[in-house]
Amino acid sequence: MSTQVPPPQRRKFLFTMLGGLGALLGAASAWPVFRFLSPVDTGGGSSQVVLPRSEVVAGKAHFFQYRGKPAVALQPSPGNFVALSAVCTHLGCVVAWQEQAGEFQCPCHGGRFSAEGKVLGGPPPKPLETLGVVLDGDQLKIG
Amino acid sequence: MIRSLCCMFVLVIAACWSVPATLLAADDTVCIQCHGGLDGRLAAPVAEWRTSIHAANSISCHDCHGGDPTDFAMAMSPERGFIGVPEYTEVPDFCGRCHVGVAAEYKAGAHGKAIEKGGAQCVVCHGNHSVQRASLSLINEESCSRCHPYERAALIKLSLVETDTIVKGVEQDIDRLYRLGFAVDEMKGSLFNQRNRFHSIFHEVDVERVRQETAGVQSELGKISKQVAAIDSTLGERKLWGSVVIGLFILVGVIFLLVRKAYEEEEKG
Amino acid sequence: MQPIKWLVDFIDVRLGVKDLFTRELQGYLLPRNVNVWYTLGAVLMALFSLQILTGILLLMFYVPDSEKAFASVQYIVNDVPYGWLFRMLHAIGANVIVIALLMHMLSVLFMGSYKGRREFTWLTGFIIFNLTMGLCLTGYLLPWSQLSFWATTVATDAAGAIPVVGDYLVEFLRGGSTVGNQTLGRFFALHVVGMPLVLLGLIGVHLFCVKRRGISSPPFGTGYRISEELPFFEHEKHPGGIPFFPNYFVKDAAVICFFLAFMLAIIFYAPGMFFPEAAFQPADPFLTPPHIKPEWYFLWAYQTLKIFPSEIIGLGVQGAFMTFLALLPFIDRGPERRPAKRPLFVTCYVLGILLFVAISIWGHYS
Repeated sequence: MSTQVPPPQRRKFLFTMLGGLGALLGAASAWPVFRFLSPVDTGGGSSQVVLPRSEVVAGKAHFFQYRGKPAVALQPSPGNFVALSAVCTHLGCVVAWQEQAGEFQCPCHGGRFSAEGKVLGGPPPKPLETLGVVLDGDQLKIG
Repeated sequence: MIRSLCCMFVLVIAACWSVPATLLAADDTVCIQCHGGLDGRLAAPVAEWRTSIHAANSISCHDCHGGDPTDFAMAMSPERGFIGVPEYTEVPDFCGRCHVGVAAEYKAGAHGKAIEKGGAQCVVCHGNHSVQRASLSLINEESCSRCHPYERAALIKLSLVETDTIVKGVEQDIDRLYRLGFAVDEMKGSLFNQRNRFHSIFHEVDVERVRQETAGVQSELGKISKQVAAIDSTLGERKLWGSVVIGLFILVGVIFLLVRKAYEEEEKG
Repeated sequence: MQPIKWLVDFIDVRLGVKDLFTRELQGYLLPRNVNVWYTLGAVLMALFSLQILTGILLLMFYVPDSEKAFASVQYIVNDVPYGWLFRMLHAIGANVIVIALLMHMLSVLFMGSYKGRREFTWLTGFIIFNLTMGLCLTGYLLPWSQLSFWATTVATDAAGAIPVVGDYLVEFLRGGSTVGNQTLGRFFALHVVGMPLVLLGLIGVHLFCVKRRGISSPPFGTGYRISEELPFFEHEKHPGGIPFFPNYFVKDAAVICFFLAFMLAIIFYAPGMFFPEAAFQPADPFLTPPHIKPEWYFLWAYQTLKIFPSEIIGLGVQGAFMTFLALLPFIDRGPERRPAKRPLFVTCYVLGILLFVAISIWGHYS
């Protein structure tokens, strides 16, 4: 067997095979590392959030988690409920509710939003995302 | 009924934790120290207890009989909760302080209702100090025919045997997965509940009821088995891919050796 | 090949890497009769690298607190994708490293490679061996299982036999009178950073010693010459030998592949091999499980302590043996390296191996 194909040619063939198998093994090793490091989607779960009406007082804003991200529910006028994403559309900071001014203010770069999420001033390019809210008896169903 | 099972489960655990000094080993009580050194009838319980499932779970004399396990003088004082030996008819309540669900079932059944007339209570079938882990072998002709014909007991046992086999199977599966590092606490808990439910319903000694409940228990056990099967299938998948990768490594190693061989020939000249 | 050639040239013109490569790898000649045992060094480097890689991955999820450690390991093994794989690679890897280390040491002993002015290589290697044992011991505690807790209790207790400072030493090792959260803290720091840094440094020195002095030739075959002890430094050359790269490198690669296949075979076909039941129970400081034993590579020490009536004698015997081993190149000064011509050494060698195996087995069953 050793004298059939001259060593250099045999080596070349074997190196080609090694290259192929090595790539395979490399992929087989890289895949588990990639999956191990990839974030697991925990934000899902049940996408509907139910809040008791009593928690969303007129004039005050109630912050909660919706699909893993900060959200806010408020009652701008009695009986009128609004639910919004609390993530500023500028660079992603969480907006704060200013009770006196009756508006949202972003602590990062001063962006201002109305109680319905409209941009009132500052750098935010878009209004706060609205979340569907339904009043069912004395429960608020968001999402 | 599920509630009484949960109560029983909780109470069994609570009773274990009611030992005043948790560092006190079950075998290290003054009860054992004294009675162990006596003769005859007064010493017998110690040796018997040591072989029991209670001893294996660190449940000692005072857990059932009350009293103070750390103080010789007050060990058998009613002030420290000492109950002493229960009367024949008091036994179900005595054991029922921990085994709540079973006691309730028992009292609702034929044996419980006949206790004043000498109907079988806990100790008659399970023994007292040397009580072992409950198993179907407790239902046998020799034991039951002490008081009445064996036929109905045999029917009940037949219904229970199948489920008992399933329970044992699931137990072994869960243990196997436990030894492989899987988080089996939830399944173990579920199995524990079903096993207790299964054992409790027997105590009402009602054939029809046993048949009905058996279906329920088996269905729950089926759910656990399904979870086990899912894990087993994952294990099978892992083994498959693992074998592929092992094969690849061996192949690559062999090719490297062949390359080495080619070099060796060149080196020789 | 154009972009690669361009990149290599770019670096070469700045750092002279091609010349380095030609001299240190292609021009590094090994003796013609080099044997497979010489691959173990590369195997150990590959395995240590794997430990570091898997260790870093595990570090991302492991919590070094006695209340959370066990649960974090359970989380890794059950919930993190492929977490089970990296945990097993790390745990089984540790055991395979000890096997490879013992093989490496045994082959060096047999071939007398510690002779010929290679004392520093031997000494650094010996310290590396001890450090590896330390890494195994500290790592063992981290999962905070019953096995972890009680094996550490037993192991740290042994130090108590040392007269005068013994009891204080035990408390110092544990960070307290009993194994607890403070023990976990210091063992974690040592295992993750302290010891690995020292290990890497020592491996560097070890490799430097090997290359600087020159690799030894196996003392077999017709080419064997007794080395003269000249009064100046001499680098052992092997003219006409085998180029390390690529000729011998492929053999290193082959044996590394086989070792990895062996590790994976254990992981997939015998995963319980190094995991007794106590490894799956969370640590309970009030309940010592029956038959608790240290890991197989410590059984010899465990059983030796049990044999001798006094703990201090048991420790003394072990200490004496380890000291003898460490100073071997200074004790065995003869220049002869061929095993056939060293009957006393070979006898002690074989008896030593048999004794180690026998005591370990005894330790397992006692």
